[in-house]
Amino acid sequence: MNNAAVEAANLCKAFGQKQVLQDVSFGVSPGDVIGVLGKNGAGKTTLLEIMLGFTAPTAGAIRVFGHESRKLPGDIKARVGFVPQQDELLDQLTVADQLRVIASFYSHWDFELIDRLCGEWGVNVNARIKGMSVGERQKLSILLAFGHKPELLILDEPVASLDPIARRQFLEQLLTISADGQRSIVFSSHIVSDIERLANRIWILKDGRLDWQGDLDSLKESIVRLHIRGSGAELPRLEIPGVLNVRRDGAFATAVVRDWTAEAQESLEKSASVQIEVETLGLEEVFVELHR
Amino acid sequence: MFILNPQSGIPIYRQILEQVRRMVASGQLPPGTALPSVRDLALRHTINPMTISRAYSILETEGLLERHRGRPMTVASQAKNHSQLPKRLQQIGPLVEQTVVAAKQLELSEAELVKAVRREWEQDDE
Amino acid sequence: MKAVLRLVYSYFMGTLAMRVLTIAGLMVMLISFAILVTQPHAGDSVWIAMIGLLAFFLGSSLMPLMVGRLARSHAVGILPGARFKLLASAFLTTLIVAIPAGVLSPAAFLSGMSTSLSEIVKHPGALEYVVQMALILFTSVMLFAGWLYLAMWFMSNEPNAIGSIKALLVIAILMFAPARDLQDLTMTASWNLLQIAVIWIVFGAVFLLWPRYKARREQRVSQRPAGARVGLRRSTAGREFDLMLGTSNPWLLIASQVLPVLIATRFVGDFTSIWLFYLTIFSTVTGAIAGEAASRSRALWLRGNWSRDELFSQVERSFWRHNAYVLGSLILVLLFVGSFSGFPAMLLVVGVPLLALGTVLSTYLGLMITRGLRSIESVIAVAVMLTLMAVAIFIVQEPLDLITVLAIEAGLAVLALILRSQARNRWTRIDWMECRRDRVMTARGA
Repeated sequence: MNNAAVEAANLCKAFGQKQVLQDVSFGVSPGDVIGVLGKNGAGKTTLLEIMLGFTAPTAGAIRVFGHESRKLPGDIKARVGFVPQQDELLDQLTVADQLRVIASFYSHWDFELIDRLCGEWGVNVNARIKGMSVGERQKLSILLAFGHKPELLILDEPVASLDPIARRQFLEQLLTISADGQRSIVFSSHIVSDIERLANRIWILKDGRLDWQGDLDSLKESIVRLHIRGSGAELPRLEIPGVLNVRRDGAFATAVVRDWTAEAQESLEKSASVQIEVETLGLEEVFVELHR
Repeated sequence: MFILNPQSGIPIYRQILEQVRRMVASGQLPPGTALPSVRDLALRHTINPMTISRAYSILETEGLLERHRGRPMTVASQAKNHSQLPKRLQQIGPLVEQTVVAAKQLELSEAELVKAVRREWEQDDE
Repeated sequence: MKAVLRLVYSYFMGTLAMRVLTIAGLMVMLISFAILVTQPHAGDSVWIAMIGLLAFFLGSSLMPLMVGRLARSHAVGILPGARFKLLASAFLTTLIVAIPAGVLSPAAFLSGMSTSLSEIVKHPGALEYVVQMALILFTSVMLFAGWLYLAMWFMSNEPNAIGSIKALLVIAILMFAPARDLQDLTMTASWNLLQIAVIWIVFGAVFLLWPRYKARREQRVSQRPAGARVGLRRSTAGREFDLMLGTSNPWLLIASQVLPVLIATRFVGDFTSIWLFYLTIFSTVTGAIAGEAASRSRALWLRGNWSRDELFSQVERSFWRHNAYVLGSLILVLLFVGSFSGFPAMLLVVGVPLLALGTVLSTYLGLMITRGLRSIESVIAVAVMLTLMAVAIFIVQEPLDLITVLAIEAGLAVLALILRSQARNRWTRIDWMECRRDRVMTARGA
């Protein structure tokens, strides 16, 4: 894929003895909205910061729009937007001044869009940043990454402090940005329902590895909970392919499996003479089951 | 027009597929009806547009929907005939299976279940 | 009381480094005490005790940091009597640090006089003198420690230029009043005690009444009509880079340096030897801003058309723009004070380069901090500070040893070049994940 926004191969990152990322490879194509999920300390922030060259991988290669991410030239950086986990606002300025400061670094800042969003999101441009609440700071931080209409937008837990209404407004704006199918968004969040709405692809980071990456749809189709009912009083020993965990209870059992297919179901039903009911799982449950 | 639940375990594109199929089959969406654009639907439900276009594409290859340049997608003119009986039966298969399992758990006989189905059928027709 | 003792214990024993310093300090002081008591004519060995005392004091340097953090945490509003207990623990720590001085000084005196306590007791006048001396040393150390803790409080709780300036002001006060007394041997126990009482009562009152003041101030702000401040818009055009780096406003720094100097000239104009020393310390404040440059530059890198090399050049340029004003004003102050109190001309000839070197060295030292403050940088910083101070004191000695001073200044200039190349080297490899500091504690006024 030549027009990929990001291409990464075999990334590793260690801080001293601590291995944070191990052998992570991925690609981000135009139009992708990627939700990054992982427990605290799974390496989400490290991964996102490596993508923009803030820190170097210990091993492996990563390119953004075809350029090594540690050495991005200015015209590439102008196509990239970033919302850090902890905002980097200038406390002594007003919102309007902060916006002007950042806008001055770009040749194509969309003042109209930002003005409109300030109004819609209820950001008072005359307020001094020092006195703003965490949620307001987060909104401003997001606006600062929107103004130059980046083709690649990377957001590190952008909505943790936003109320549900503000979050929905933010999601709608991200959708508008991604609607033309040319822009890519990568965002990490613990709010799984947001990722379920917005993302078409999911990365699940577990212990520094990409435990799952792919379509959200295929994830939901692939990881399911089986309710198994045997014919006798006691369920026979079962060989379930791709099983993550099983709970047995007499003639019944529930099992969560990955890479589930209709064929697998058929063969299991025949070989063990059991009846299987398939329950699909929401993303939150999938995430929890993968970490059991 | 659709009832979509992103938190459900059923992927959104499948929810759209099933609802369009059902509405076309039942005649709720007669041939020629325009469907909402991907963008509109995405913004109205705050869901990823790619998921919706994926569902629309599948429906297009199934022959249920027709794509027009610069205009919204419409329900195909021969959509209803297109859905052959075996295919439609296959669609309702899982529901029947669930019902039968439930009936067995409730220790209903086959005749009792059929009777209940018929009663429901006739009530719905009225 | 239990809470107070627990707090004091954790100040001295909180981290491994503190524990080592505290215990080493106590051991050294014990050894020194033993030497003084058992060996006659061992009064000269009192420097061993001083080292022990210094280590013991440094062992408690967690105190200002912990008190500051706790005082700003939510816990202080919830725990019963927390503010008062914190204050008591701070006072107790200062007391504990001062006690060894009170014990060691009579021992040193007796050893120096080669007499024993039993003989002294026979002479009421001598006994009174020893007790008086012990009391003076005890109170002096307590006074000094209190001021130093206050300076450390500002440094550790406001890791920015403002905090450094406040700390410098405290040190400046320390230099003017108690240190001068010490040099002139004009201290008395009662004068010390009076100072201690005033300082602690003022500090205690501020510390205890702070929440009430804050609440009242917030109430006043909230009563202000909305939008009252709208309208005044400073233009930011052309200064964006400096704004993001924190070098946009040298005048604040200048004002906070020049004003106290000018006020002080009013009172201590004749005390010439301290001036250069004082201004040299001020010249290094810019290093505090430079130390933040690395973590602040992250947004600049992402938004600008610079590689890491070019970013360093830009940052360097920005700091020079900033330093030119600050250094210029310091030199003006030196010239002003110099002519005001009649400095010899040669002193200005070597003093001006010293101020410039202070600025340059501290700027590049600050810029070298690209991976958070580590021990190497701290050691270099302390060494450079001590050298600068020593040179500043050395210069004002009569007669002036011009060759030596110039040689030292040349050496410092070479060091500045080394630090610059080191800083440049580090910036080409800058890693923003490593230089991010613990920002959670920076006050947000929420």
